[in-house]
Amino acid sequence: MRSVIDGFGSPFFQRAAIEAVLVGSLCGAVGVHVLLRRLPFFVVAMSHATFPGVVIASVLGFSIVAGGIGFGLLVVLGIVALGSVRALDDSSAIGVVLAGSFAIGVLVLSSRASASRDLSAFLVGQILTVTPADIATTVAVGVVLLAVLVALHKELIHGAFDPAGLGALGYSTRALDLIVLVAITVALVTSVPAVGTLLSVALLTVPALAARQWVERVVPMMVVAAAIGAGSGLLGLCLSAAFDVAAGGAIALTASAVFLLSVTARSSWSQLARRGRPNPVPAAT
Amino acid sequence: MIRQLLVEPYQLGFMRRALLEVVLLGVLGGVVGVHVLLRRLTFLTEALQHTVFPGLAVAFAAGQSLLLGAVTAAAVTIVLLAFLTTRLRIDQDAGLAVLIATFFAFGVVIVSRRTGYTSDLNQLLFGRILDVDRRQVVETAVIAFVVLVLVAVAHKHLVLVAFDRAQAEALGYRVVVLDLLLNAAVAATVVVAVRAVGTVLMVAFVVTPAASARLLGRSVAATMAIAVVLAGVLGWVGLSASFEASVNQGLRLASGATVVAAFTVGFCVIGAGTQLVRRLGARRGLAKAAL
Amino acid sequence: MALIGPNGAGKTTLIRAILGLMPLTSGRIEVLGVSPAKARGRVAYVPQADVLDPEFPVSVLQVVLMGRSRRIGWLRRAGREDKAIAMEALRRVGVADRADDRFGVLSGGQRQRVLLARAVAQEAELLLLDEPFNGVDATTTDLLIEVLADLRATGVAVVMSTHDLAVAHLACDEACLLNRQQIAFGPMGEALTADLLRETYGGSAVVLAGGATIVTAR
Repeated sequence: MRSVIDGFGSPFFQRAAIEAVLVGSLCGAVGVHVLLRRLPFFVVAMSHATFPGVVIASVLGFSIVAGGIGFGLLVVLGIVALGSVRALDDSSAIGVVLAGSFAIGVLVLSSRASASRDLSAFLVGQILTVTPADIATTVAVGVVLLAVLVALHKELIHGAFDPAGLGALGYSTRALDLIVLVAITVALVTSVPAVGTLLSVALLTVPALAARQWVERVVPMMVVAAAIGAGSGLLGLCLSAAFDVAAGGAIALTASAVFLLSVTARSSWSQLARRGRPNPVPAAT
Repeated sequence: MIRQLLVEPYQLGFMRRALLEVVLLGVLGGVVGVHVLLRRLTFLTEALQHTVFPGLAVAFAAGQSLLLGAVTAAAVTIVLLAFLTTRLRIDQDAGLAVLIATFFAFGVVIVSRRTGYTSDLNQLLFGRILDVDRRQVVETAVIAFVVLVLVAVAHKHLVLVAFDRAQAEALGYRVVVLDLLLNAAVAATVVVAVRAVGTVLMVAFVVTPAASARLLGRSVAATMAIAVVLAGVLGWVGLSASFEASVNQGLRLASGATVVAAFTVGFCVIGAGTQLVRRLGARRGLAKAAL
Repeated sequence: MALIGPNGAGKTTLIRAILGLMPLTSGRIEVLGVSPAKARGRVAYVPQADVLDPEFPVSVLQVVLMGRSRRIGWLRRAGREDKAIAMEALRRVGVADRADDRFGVLSGGQRQRVLLARAVAQEAELLLLDEPFNGVDATTTDLLIEVLADLRATGVAVVMSTHDLAVAHLACDEACLLNRQQIAFGPMGEALTADLLRETYGGSAVVLAGGATIVTAR
């Protein structure tokens, strides 16, 4: 890997840095919706379940992003269908679909000769090989996703907070749910070249959770999460180059470090605040 | 023909050991899996299989026992999860996601420090079920036996807690101890299974046969029995299929993934079958009502 | 009108069906003269405050503005008029001073008031409340009853589910007794008789002097 990076000034590194910042900020912002709707398990599942789409697209020579999104949509429908089967709760349906579709991806890959190198590229990303076309895809996807999230912000937040209330107002909660699930899947697949399928979970949950420690409103939270995602992407990339470790892993670990700092800061802050007040107001129930 | 498919491969020693390992894991996964579904611990299981990854990676790099590394990582996960959810009041799902991301990334970073890391990574991620040795089979058998005995002894209490936690507490059971027992059983299952089938497919051994059995079984015990039989039979079929494809048809199919694919196909068939029966039953019921 | 019945009698199910959130196995529902799907937006729904996530990062004012979503329309943000109406609604339920606080830090009673304010801000013709008095302090109960009375005076129809007979007496003038099926329907005094209540709850009803009735469950 060292031969690829001849210092931070190389075009490979510059492209990687741009991709890391773009993916980090996009996933950070989308991640807030993941938390608000309590969808982390869905994200984990999709990170596995989009895998066969990515593999098949790569085998057939299609765009990885298109393949992942296409298969991801199928899986979303599969989960929705399974969820309606009685005696199975959502999470077991997700578990079955997750492992099953991942196995399909592995099977397709294992039948090919150069399997093991491709596999690890999909799993942990190969950000140093991103092309200008990859970056263009990320920009286009990011603009569309953010436009949708901003345009439907009011409805999406209402749906996450009080779905029955939104349904009573005459909105189709199912359509809005589907929009969110699709948005998350698209963001996830877009981050595959940078951090791989398994570590995209990190960018879609950890920055948002860190941001939640600092701010209380949704819009600022999305901004802060995007900033944390972008910062983790850039810093993680530099660390990976400096210590010669996998970039996807370094980016995810940086995000976790930011989360750890945020949590520690918040809890010591609230302890200080409590000490400052001799008679604390009892917590509202 | 069938004999050639399902019996002959097992004249080879490594296939016999692989089959034994798959059946042992199927029995363990089937029983523990039903509890996992009853308590909705699917995400915990999924998270554990990823968080043991750095344990495996460190043990692998240091040349230590993989089992030891996995046990340590699983224990750390459970402690940290308790800390995140109780002390820091973070939502359980979000906490698990953070742990998955952090631990898995840590493992990747450790493995990537080694040269030629992609094949190491693959071994840890997908296991090498055909490389299982005698000692590993014995270890799996011992751990499976201990876990199954514990779960069987506590069976009644575990089911009660799953069904009605408040009632169990009111009856004076130590719910926390039972929780801990179940989490430990899940962790032990994950730990022995990841060595054989790796840290991404392992969850299928726990969730898929149990979920299929759930569609058929009427009582908890019956569900467990069905799950165990399904896991054993489908594991056998999957292993044989991967052998046949790889050796005789020239199509290389990873054995662990083929077993999981067999589980999934089984689930789909059972799911479709039960839906069909229900629909037919409903139609017949309507027809009767119309008469 | 009060929907009265024990747990599992179908109160919430009925409300959800009126909202068009449940598929019907048989029969037909007409709301304000049209089907539930068409009446949406003219019907306001007040859920139980405790089904909502207390950690959710929304302010009290934002919650009330959710009632205006339909009028604001897609792709647009709340305007000055919407905010003024939302603040007026909050003032009416007495929590205007908490408008910028996070919804989750409010007490149970205050949350229920905010949800009522949201329904007020929606300016609906029919108001459906699911157990509005559950876990709510006496002051809030009085205030909710007062606001509901004001709304009825302006021509809004109010339907609430409850198992608190005393409050139902104060807040409503008609009652529907429900336990898997309709047991009685009519003006308060006629529907809430000891016999009918006994039939509804399947227990023994004790009639006290002054017409109050206590029902003990099985």
